[in-house]
Amino acid sequence: MTTLTNLWFVSLALCLVAALGLMLLIAARSLSARHGHREEAARRALLPRMLDGDPAGLAPLAGLDLRVATDLTVELAEMTRGSEREALLARAAALGVPGLLEKRLSARSAQVRLSAAEAIAMFDQCHDAATRALDDRNPDVRLGAALALAHRGEAPDPLTVVRKLKVGDEEHSLLLVSLMQDLARTNSEAVAGLLFEKDLSFEAKAAAMDALADLGGEYAPLLAYMARSADGERELQPRIYRALGRTGHPAGAEAIVHGLHSNDWTVRASAAESAGKAGLSQAAARLGEMLADPHYWVRYRASEALLRLGPRGINTLREVSEGEDEGARDVAARMLAEGRAA
Amino acid sequence: MNWMALSDPQAWMIASAEAIASVVIVTGLLQVTFYFVLLLYAGAALGTRPPVPRSATLWRRYSEQAPAISVLAPAFNEELSIVESTRSLLALQYPDFEVIVINDGSKDGTLARMIAEFGLEKVDRFIDSGVNHAPISGFYASPRLPRLLVVDKENGGKADALNAGINCARTALFCAIDADSILESDALLRVVRPFIDEPHLTIAAGGTIRIANGCKVDAGRITDIRLPTNFLALVQIVEYLRAFLMARVGLGKMQALTVISGAFGLFRRRQVVEVGGYSHGTVGEDMELVIKLHKLMREAKRDYRIDFIAEPVCWTECPDSLAVLGRQRARWQRGALECFVKHKGMLFNPRYGRIGMIGFGHILLVDVLGPVLEILGYVLVPLLWALGLLALPWLLAFLAVTFTLGIFLSMATLVLEEIQLRRFPKARELAVLAGIAVVENFGYRQLSNVWRLQGWWQFVRKQQSWGTMVRKGFSAA
Repeated sequence: MTTLTNLWFVSLALCLVAALGLMLLIAARSLSARHGHREEAARRALLPRMLDGDPAGLAPLAGLDLRVATDLTVELAEMTRGSEREALLARAAALGVPGLLEKRLSARSAQVRLSAAEAIAMFDQCHDAATRALDDRNPDVRLGAALALAHRGEAPDPLTVVRKLKVGDEEHSLLLVSLMQDLARTNSEAVAGLLFEKDLSFEAKAAAMDALADLGGEYAPLLAYMARSADGERELQPRIYRALGRTGHPAGAEAIVHGLHSNDWTVRASAAESAGKAGLSQAAARLGEMLADPHYWVRYRASEALLRLGPRGINTLREVSEGEDEGARDVAARMLAEGRAA
Repeated sequence: MNWMALSDPQAWMIASAEAIASVVIVTGLLQVTFYFVLLLYAGAALGTRPPVPRSATLWRRYSEQAPAISVLAPAFNEELSIVESTRSLLALQYPDFEVIVINDGSKDGTLARMIAEFGLEKVDRFIDSGVNHAPISGFYASPRLPRLLVVDKENGGKADALNAGINCARTALFCAIDADSILESDALLRVVRPFIDEPHLTIAAGGTIRIANGCKVDAGRITDIRLPTNFLALVQIVEYLRAFLMARVGLGKMQALTVISGAFGLFRRRQVVEVGGYSHGTVGEDMELVIKLHKLMREAKRDYRIDFIAEPVCWTECPDSLAVLGRQRARWQRGALECFVKHKGMLFNPRYGRIGMIGFGHILLVDVLGPVLEILGYVLVPLLWALGLLALPWLLAFLAVTFTLGIFLSMATLVLEEIQLRRFPKARELAVLAGIAVVENFGYRQLSNVWRLQGWWQFVRKQQSWGTMVRKGFSAA
């Protein structure tokens, strides 16, 4: 074959492929439109049955009806809570939805598996199937299953979950914090235990700390200890300080004041933020000095903290606004105006 | 080399024509190869992308951990649309965000309308001075709308206005948009995903821009996706699909994305401040910001990601007249050339890894050489044929390959759109777009290259103006 013939062959082949692809697309779209009408009709018929009535009166579905009922269950479960959701799930179970969800856990599409893993965890009788999803090949499906199980208080112990999710290797999501919060609600000691696991990643420990901080002051001494001993860890230390501030516990005071003197501006800013959240009025003088910090975020967080401290902080802001340092004076005056405390 | 032959003018002309033709053909082949690689990567990226949940699911999953975002909307002479645009932004579905509208020295009543409509009062605000911008005249806010801040500043252009917004932002992330574009209500929830999945690596993410001409708009929301009737708008739909679904998704998968559209991009504020924010004095400020971010992270040897997500959509009105479209395309071309020349040291420089090799290679092939060589090809091939240096069958074969490749790539992008995103509600609309993908090759494609050559000319003459974008406004439902 000559080069010229090849050129023509390539041109014609490309035309053919493009035309064929498009015809297939349009045909597929027309078919799916017809299918869509049938699906719509099934939705209209099933919706009232799923929202009302005695589950005992429902017979298991099959085919299109079952697929539609399963999709409806997932959608409606997101919109309902409490007894309403329990009733919905009971009706869905009577229609055979859990069976199809279990089959969908083996689907090729990760989206389908994720949706199934999240939904199946809601059914009491499907705990084992949902737990199996923790070993899925897709990290999003694993995380979705873990979140759903932890939300119901049915997840394995935190260390097992962290290992199954491969946190630090394949999983770095901020949603780990939500996961840890749910895990800590049922087993806070085990979550605290993660902090002492030597081979655990930074992400797992940071998420555990955030979750423990939300439990209140109980873990403040531990967080305070960790904040002070994390000197030099640029990613971790600011996050511990923010968590410590959220506990609002006096046990964190010494560590926060320590952070206000850090050489790292990100630590100073986060320590200032937590001083404000913890209402640390003994830090007011230092926060006032920080209004002259070279970094905007340190100045902003310090001034914000002073506003949060109430009268003592506002007095400090007023003093600085009349002081000699022009930059600090400007920060204090503007924040007083912004906080309508001028 | 036969020096005797070169002394003969005819032989010299033939040798020159052959040499130029070889360059055109080789570069064309490289371009085509690159497009096919991009297409494969885009297909792989869309096929293996993380699961895409519905908005309600996204809200349930992300609402507690989604980082706060400042939405920066620069506005210049937007009196007619600014109130509706702001309302639409305030109604975005996202757990924690503020909207900062920057009035960039508008000459009309943009600020007055905002003050009157939202009951704003002049306030004070302590802001950063990390990036440079023209002086700010005042801040306006209302206790009734704690999410809204209006910044009034002296005119300095879009980049300058965005810089002012960056200084005012108090969140770790900011989203730069055009005030006259329409963000889908869940766009922030979708575009934030890389920042949630890889919080320590992601520094920027872009979303898809789609053409709103022809669509029905109600209260700042797209309520009915329809195709426009204007031919130029239709062609641009196909072009945008190619640019976003093929080029940007593909380059994003390769981690070699060099542009995030100024109409919709989410950035980590800290790194943007580190590079000095948006650059003044260029019309390609959005592209340059991304290049500066790459440069910063590569030179500091820090791990990072700049991603492109196909699902979050920002709708924009495109020009539907030849004059306005021509000006826009010339400006885009000039912007790309300005960025390329300013950072030419990155081209094929191993220090910048895949950005230097693939990202800048793409700019060189597509933006710098692309229009020049294509026009040269259109001139040279018939000329060679007229001189008897190229047989008619070869001329026809050359044209056939050029056009069928263009058609194939457009069709393949339509296939990706249909399989992965399926935004067009009717099969008829797909057929129309497929027809446009064929027709655009005969006339529009050549005209587009002429506009790009005009951009080249403006670049050479160091012309700096933005030109005027005449917008008709979105049609109400």
